[in-house]
Amino acid sequence: MKTGVYFCNCGSIISDKIDPEKVKEKLKDASYIKSFGLMCSDEGKQFLEVDIKAERPDRIVIAACSPRDHQLTFMNAIEAAGMNPYLMQMVNIREQIAWVVEDKARAVDKTASYIQGAIKRVNLQKPLNIKEIDAEISVLIIGAGPAGLKAASAIAEAGRKVILVDKSPAIGGKPVLYEKIFPNMECGPCMLEPILDDVLFGRYADNIETLTISEVTEVTGYYGNFTVKIKQSPRYVNLKTCIGCGECVEPCPQKAIAVPFTGAMPNSVSIDDSACLRFKGKECSLCKEACPIPDVIDYDDKELIHERRVGAIIIAIGAGLYDCSRFPNLGFGLLKDVYTADQFERLLSSTGPTEGTLETSDGGEPESISIIHCVGSLDNNHNGYCSEVCCQYAFKFNQMIKEKLPQAKIYHIYKELVLTGKDGFILYDKAKVSSDTKFIRYKDIKDINIIDQDAKILISIEGIDVKIKSDMAVLCPSIVPVEESKQIGKMLDTTLDRFGFFEELHGRCDSAQSKIKGVYLAGTCQSPMDIAACMNQGMAAASYILSGIVEGKKLEIEPITAVIDKERCSGCKVCQLVCPYKAIAFDEKDGISIVNELLCHGCGTCAAACPIGVIEVNHFTTEEIFAEIEGLLA
Amino acid sequence: MNNGMNSFEPKIVGFLCNWCSYAGADKAGVAQTPYPSNVNIIKVMCSGRVDPQFVLKAFASGADGVLILACHPGDCHYKEGNYKALQRYKILSRLLKQFDIAEQRLRFDYVSAGEGEKFVEAITSIVDNVKSLGPLSIKGGNNIWEQQH
Repeated sequence: MKTGVYFCNCGSIISDKIDPEKVKEKLKDASYIKSFGLMCSDEGKQFLEVDIKAERPDRIVIAACSPRDHQLTFMNAIEAAGMNPYLMQMVNIREQIAWVVEDKARAVDKTASYIQGAIKRVNLQKPLNIKEIDAEISVLIIGAGPAGLKAASAIAEAGRKVILVDKSPAIGGKPVLYEKIFPNMECGPCMLEPILDDVLFGRYADNIETLTISEVTEVTGYYGNFTVKIKQSPRYVNLKTCIGCGECVEPCPQKAIAVPFTGAMPNSVSIDDSACLRFKGKECSLCKEACPIPDVIDYDDKELIHERRVGAIIIAIGAGLYDCSRFPNLGFGLLKDVYTADQFERLLSSTGPTEGTLETSDGGEPESISIIHCVGSLDNNHNGYCSEVCCQYAFKFNQMIKEKLPQAKIYHIYKELVLTGKDGFILYDKAKVSSDTKFIRYKDIKDINIIDQDAKILISIEGIDVKIKSDMAVLCPSIVPVEESKQIGKMLDTTLDRFGFFEELHGRCDSAQSKIKGVYLAGTCQSPMDIAACMNQGMAAASYILSGIVEGKKLEIEPITAVIDKERCSGCKVCQLVCPYKAIAFDEKDGISIVNELLCHGCGTCAAACPIGVIEVNHFTTEEIFAEIEGLLA
Repeated sequence: MNNGMNSFEPKIVGFLCNWCSYAGADKAGVAQTPYPSNVNIIKVMCSGRVDPQFVLKAFASGADGVLILACHPGDCHYKEGNYKALQRYKILSRLLKQFDIAEQRLRFDYVSAGEGEKFVEAITSIVDNVKSLGPLSIKGGNNIWEQQH
């Protein structure tokens, strides 16, 4: 075995502290040792390439800076010289020796030990190659709210097939129901219209298969090669021919056929088979008779199971609201005029139960409305985080109330006000100028008591000498994960964080990526966030996919992965328990565990856990580490 | 301090994870503050790769001490390799006592990529501890584990 050692002087940064000549004297196992001024420079790389071609070593040790700096530089140079780059081991003599060991003799000794360890190790290293596999370029998106829609339209525009799945009969998520959106008080459906149009009828709509009233029921496979099953419940209405005129709605004695809400897209009715008389064995075809277009209503529509192959999956299933009945002191569910924010949103809506007239449960015009902020948020007994959007919609409510009832008094009862970014201040700034708008700060949600008194609501706060009489109270509950997160997380092996939101690969650097390769996160299923952030995350997820899986390009698999010795594996599955990436599957036929190289990140936890030592990690084998230990200590 | 012991320069092997602790060591290097040279570092991708056998092998090969440095809880690049490393360290510490190897010869700590100073502190502390314990001699000889590999 010919093992060459290259010593980088790093200009003179290293050689001033560590004399390469003295190191040479101490090395026993090197076939040759050469020093060079600055090996990462163009001349240095040239020198390395030419010298490797001339010397033809079997293995190389490079003593230089931290591998975090130039390992890839040298790997590329070695590859250019026609050698496998994994047959090189770098030794960090700058950060770990030259810069921190004062005594020159010791520095030489330590350098010699390091190089000796590297030689022993590198002699055992094996050539490794990046593997390539084919990848499917279609994408599954679960959830057609702002995040999912944005991702769908971007991916479709890139010429990719998208399967967009939503459990409800209409797409658009929650904001399509909001008549005003903070901070600019735009109309929600108007704001979303262009993107809904894009997805359903736009230039690239042919690339998007929108499946409503549908849910993903099974996912197998891995990054680049998922197979998914989607269950589509019957709509009993032909989406292609229904024009959403609503002629069928009135005649239905059961209110079983309806457009989900005014302006819903796709603009089509659907039949709720749990309410429809036909599905209770009775004769009725009033809706079909009322429909002006033939064959729109199809009572024989059946549940469909679609099977699709996709390369990547985006989870964009949104979030829900914290259950306010956990706070009996706030009177929710007990007092008639205590509402949650989403109920209040409906009361304000022109398509809501009062057609937008703001009135109390007995029909009176409210003189005073209290808005309770932070219900369940910023509270370790409930949800230890800020829900981000509540301050903004609370001040949106403030403005909407003022537009409808200019005389109304509004009380903001809050724990903290969080008004971030360039838009965060706008609505608060408008709200606070009115003398009819009061701000009262509380410490703990437990301190608030809401009771009925003289046909009004009486709000008192313990520790503060204040009693507020209001006609209505609006609670702003925490944004919380939806129940489906658990089930979808289980199906896709994606982990949930301590709050139940989907866990990111990295909270700051990779917040649109889950810990499972090929599964991306967008929108409030990952954390509370506003519509702008949801849209951005949708785009982020789309760009990860568009750059990661490219048509005509194979997926590259890094060679530093775990490998299980098939002959010796006893099938105990301990490795599966410790693998953080679900990269180890069990082969029932042979009774052994198998590593999926595509999912494996090469951490080596399984190798350390294997009770019989039959798992190795490429480039970090037990044998290699043992050799390094021996060399270092010799 | 350790009068009479100062001439003893222990050999210590440090297993550092690639993403946090190794980067922390680099940070200490860039700061160019001298620290004891006794710890020879082996890089692993994750502290979860540190098989207890690596530690035993180091002791058997003549190390007087072993240091394992990992990412802080919650920071592991591989989610939870550092927790696995911690569990293994705890069990291994008990085992070492049975071989008459003082617990202080094995140290586990968390060092982030930003904690150059903490890295130096961890190095200094294990070097001081092992210096005061003196050279390691293993009951039954240094090759007692060798047969098993």
